[in-house]
Amino acid sequence: MRDLIDFASLIDFLSVGILLTAISMNSLKRLESCIKAYFFNSLFLTLLIVSVAVVKGESHFYFAALLNFIVKCFVIPLFISNIVKKMQVTHDVEPFVSNSLSLVISGILIAIVYSAISKGVYVTGLSKNVLQISVAVILISLFVMISRRKAITQVIGLLFMENGLFLAGFSLTYGMPLIIELGVFFDMLMGVIILGVFAIQIKRLFSTTDLDQLTKLKG
Amino acid sequence: MVMDLSESTLLFVIAALISLFLPSLAYLISIAGAFSFFVLGLSLLSNSASGNYIFKLTPFFDLSFGGDNISGFFLIVISLLTIAVCLYSIGYTKSLKNKRFFGFIFSLFIPSMYGVILSTNIISFLICWETMSVLSYFLVVFENNEKSSKAGLIYAVMTHIGTAFIIALFLLLSYYTKSSDFSVFKALSNNIPLPIKNIIFIFALIGFGVKAGIMPFHYWLPIAHPTAPSNVSAIMSGVMIKTGIYGIVRIGLDILGVGAYWWGILVLALGAISAVLGIMQAVMEKDIKRLLAYSSIENIGIILLGLGGAMLFKFYSMNALAALSLTAAFYHILNHSVFKGLLFMGAGSILHATHTKNMELLGGLIKKMPMTAFCFLIGAISICALPPFNGFVSEWLTYQALISGFNAPPSIVKIISPIFGASLALTGAIAATAFVKAFGITFLGLPRSSNTDHGHDASPTMTSAMLFLSVICLVLGIFPNYFITLFSYPVFNLTGGSLSFLTRGSITIAAGSLSTQAIALSLIMTIIFILLLSRSFFGKPKIEHGDSWDCGIFTLDSRMQYTATAFIKPLKIIFKRVYMPKREVKITYSVDKLFVSSMRYGGDIAPFLTKYILSPMFNFINNVSDRLKFLQSGSLQLYLSYILITLVVLLIFGM
Amino acid sequence: MEKLQILIILLFAPLLQGFIKKVKALMQGRKGASIVQPYCDLIRLFNKDMVISNTASVIFKITPYIVLASVITVCFLVPVITSASNFYYFGDVIAIVYTFALARFFMALAGLDAGTAFGGEGSSREMTVSTLVEPMMMLCLFTAAIPSGSTNLADIVNIDNPILTPSKVLAFSAFMVAIIAETGRIPVDNPDTHLELTMIHEGMILEYSGRYLAMMEYAHYIKQMLLFTILADIFLPFGVATSFDMIHLTKAFIVYSIKMLVIGFTMALIESSRAKMRFFQLPSLLGGGFVLAFVSLLTYLMLGK
Repeated sequence: MRDLIDFASLIDFLSVGILLTAISMNSLKRLESCIKAYFFNSLFLTLLIVSVAVVKGESHFYFAALLNFIVKCFVIPLFISNIVKKMQVTHDVEPFVSNSLSLVISGILIAIVYSAISKGVYVTGLSKNVLQISVAVILISLFVMISRRKAITQVIGLLFMENGLFLAGFSLTYGMPLIIELGVFFDMLMGVIILGVFAIQIKRLFSTTDLDQLTKLKG
Repeated sequence: MVMDLSESTLLFVIAALISLFLPSLAYLISIAGAFSFFVLGLSLLSNSASGNYIFKLTPFFDLSFGGDNISGFFLIVISLLTIAVCLYSIGYTKSLKNKRFFGFIFSLFIPSMYGVILSTNIISFLICWETMSVLSYFLVVFENNEKSSKAGLIYAVMTHIGTAFIIALFLLLSYYTKSSDFSVFKALSNNIPLPIKNIIFIFALIGFGVKAGIMPFHYWLPIAHPTAPSNVSAIMSGVMIKTGIYGIVRIGLDILGVGAYWWGILVLALGAISAVLGIMQAVMEKDIKRLLAYSSIENIGIILLGLGGAMLFKFYSMNALAALSLTAAFYHILNHSVFKGLLFMGAGSILHATHTKNMELLGGLIKKMPMTAFCFLIGAISICALPPFNGFVSEWLTYQALISGFNAPPSIVKIISPIFGASLALTGAIAATAFVKAFGITFLGLPRSSNTDHGHDASPTMTSAMLFLSVICLVLGIFPNYFITLFSYPVFNLTGGSLSFLTRGSITIAAGSLSTQAIALSLIMTIIFILLLSRSFFGKPKIEHGDSWDCGIFTLDSRMQYTATAFIKPLKIIFKRVYMPKREVKITYSVDKLFVSSMRYGGDIAPFLTKYILSPMFNFINNVSDRLKFLQSGSLQLYLSYILITLVVLLIFGM
Repeated sequence: MEKLQILIILLFAPLLQGFIKKVKALMQGRKGASIVQPYCDLIRLFNKDMVISNTASVIFKITPYIVLASVITVCFLVPVITSASNFYYFGDVIAIVYTFALARFFMALAGLDAGTAFGGEGSSREMTVSTLVEPMMMLCLFTAAIPSGSTNLADIVNIDNPILTPSKVLAFSAFMVAIIAETGRIPVDNPDTHLELTMIHEGMILEYSGRYLAMMEYAHYIKQMLLFTILADIFLPFGVATSFDMIHLTKAFIVYSIKMLVIGFTMALIESSRAKMRFFQLPSLLGGGFVLAFVSLLTYLMLGK
């Protein structure tokens, strides 16, 4: 099995998948499809962990992958879609900038990241490619958070960013001790729950999840 | 066996958690914690080195704690007051809303001060410093009304301006020494060029001066301290502002060592300004807690007079004098924490019983709350530096140090030191006026309003806490030599001079001697003597009770008494250049200009510093912030884009 | 022997008061009361019953004891006819000034205690005057202390300083102003009147009667004599014995009596020749005194004499 597959290219392929799902956020209009994109993003991440686990042969990576799969592919997406249903959010995600422009900006961001990271000397566990992709995912999801109005899209953007951070950490250190990963998962789960509750509260208070309304809070 | 540092801290954490369920028990545990820190402080003072406690935070930064003589001294000061205030809080917080949450914050606030004192590197110092600031902010705004939230805002802003300067000075220090440890700073401080040293020193004066309430950085103090619950005011005025002094001692005297000759003069000048203007503001206050808060500024000024003297003498290598001067400052730090804590507790008991801090509504309380009155009187005598109580001893030492300042070589010092001596004398005299007013108007005479009807002595725990501090005031006053001996290690470490002037029963230095024991003994013996003699010669006096003399009008009431405002009116007129009083008389006439239906008199004073320095400064900052307001639009997306832009720029520069 | 000096002050303080009153009366063309009248007054008052206000509290009752005890405590610290005593090392000039302040603190509280306007007025004015006088007095004492290198009065007396130096003359005049204010004499206060517009010291003790009044008055006489003695010790330090030798002590006692009479006479002269000042004109007098004291100290530091 181990000899049949070229793991280096498999890992590269999976990380490109992560990048693509992140970019796809820029062009998606429906919240449901955003959640689906997140599902795929997390799925690719899980597969990446599994493949690294196969390469390194370390058992605790399997566990991390399993945890990743359960939390990010099922618990969180289901929780968010539940909130979306509860709030009866309209389908559109209402970006500030048009889809095409945001795609262009994402491209520019990726270019910057690639050129910036190509020069330095980085000690990476995986290929340099993975690090570049992970930083790009972080920046793109940050941009997604900037360009979207709805509180719920912010949450999804944050989740993408977390995936990017996870990938970056994974690529630099070849995976952290299990206890830290457990902590991170727990943190994220809590974060999502809290943000979800906040979104509902915002909806109740301002009768919209439009974050523009928050400027009214300023004294 | 000295308790371990982490175990003592753990006691406070346990106390904090317990206070969520059983507030009273939590204070008892805090007392145990403070006591173990007290023991630790004593063992540190007696020159036994303590181990360093290092907690790895990240590969680059550790949290490291440890102690030396200097921190040992400050530990004792904090612990002593904390023990009393925790005891007081058991009774005081019973009627407080959210008392569980209050106990939680309070129990964490105390160890944060210990943390500041015991930090031995930048990171742990700054973390503890910020924890202390934030927790004390919560305590200031605890009463949760408009006034307290405004006070809290002013406090938060001022204290963070101070923190900014502190961070800047630490960055400078670590840039020049390539380290973040205080011990390395100290070892390598000679390599720092003098101009940089000067900048670091000025930053330390500003940064820590804000916390200590040195004029002109005192603006927050009289606003925030009176707003907090009284037990918190006691801790804040008694010991929290001393952490600012600790910072100045640590940076100015310990780490930087000898700088330029004007450092000492600058500190002396700031001390004189704070002392005189602080007490001049205090004497004008009607609000008893604000009066006490302003008097804290005055006492910080007196401490600075000692500290500045020590710096000046150290620069001219007059080590014995420097030791004397620093001893004066240290003793006043200890004394002030004791009597200011006592006075704030007294004010708290008054507030508790009468629901007002306004002296114009009080009067005659000595009959309804005799124990509180007794303790407040002891505190007032001590803070006025009257023999044989503790305030006198430290002011006496300060006087002696200042008089010796006339011997310092440069003529500028000779010319300005009489001013410092005179300003200390002026401070003492006005302080006496202020506390005659505070005690006399509040406790004596006829009640001025119905607020005093329910006056009653506080609960046993509160009263015993006040009695405890009263006894300490007396003990520190009568046996100063035993306590001053304790400071000899830190004083020697900081100045290189030793305290060779102590003899049994009295303090004898080159320029004078004092034995408060003899004075106290003489006072007591003379009183007994007078009593016996007059009884034996003239018999027991016959006493009749009658009304006060009322010039024959038979309706002497409380409105004919001198009020708090009237009491200090002569001072207001005499020092009108400082106070710049505004006077407003509104008369409404019923018919023509002959029959007056009502008359309203209003008066106000414009504090000198506030009018000419602070207000223009605040206006400037307000204007600048108004222009920068657009950066803070409140839009989440905008904030996120700041982050994105920063990241991208960093990446581009990294290329 | 040491107690002897204290007895001198305790015994002769009323006599000095009587002397000053007599001189004043003679200057005003009156015959005046006998020179021992203050003794009679004190004994009479000690025997009288007391009326105490219902408003007054325990402060009112302990104040006479504390006031008298603090001035007697100061007696221990001041060399009268000999500078050889161990008592002097129990406290220096700073302790003396602050022990007087202790007496004043309680006196001002007692003034407020009865709840009348007069008491409050007296306390308020007394504290105001003391704010102006105390720094002035301190500076004068510093000027005296620095040449001798000690703040203990005995050391100041022992050092054989020339009397007529520029700084000493300035400090002397400032100290005279301080004494006038502290003893409540014209032009600062008028001791012979009970007019509410003018009184300061009398206002504070207005509610006292009988034995307590006697104690307050006696304390006042002692304080006056002590201040005169301090003035003599600092600025006229000749003729003070340095041992307990009987002959020297007798000589010193004669010199001391002459000094007291001269100072008392000067005081009476000043009081008779000046008018009482308005209260709010006092700052110009006392401020002038303060400047004198400050200049005297500067003169010493700059000229060295």
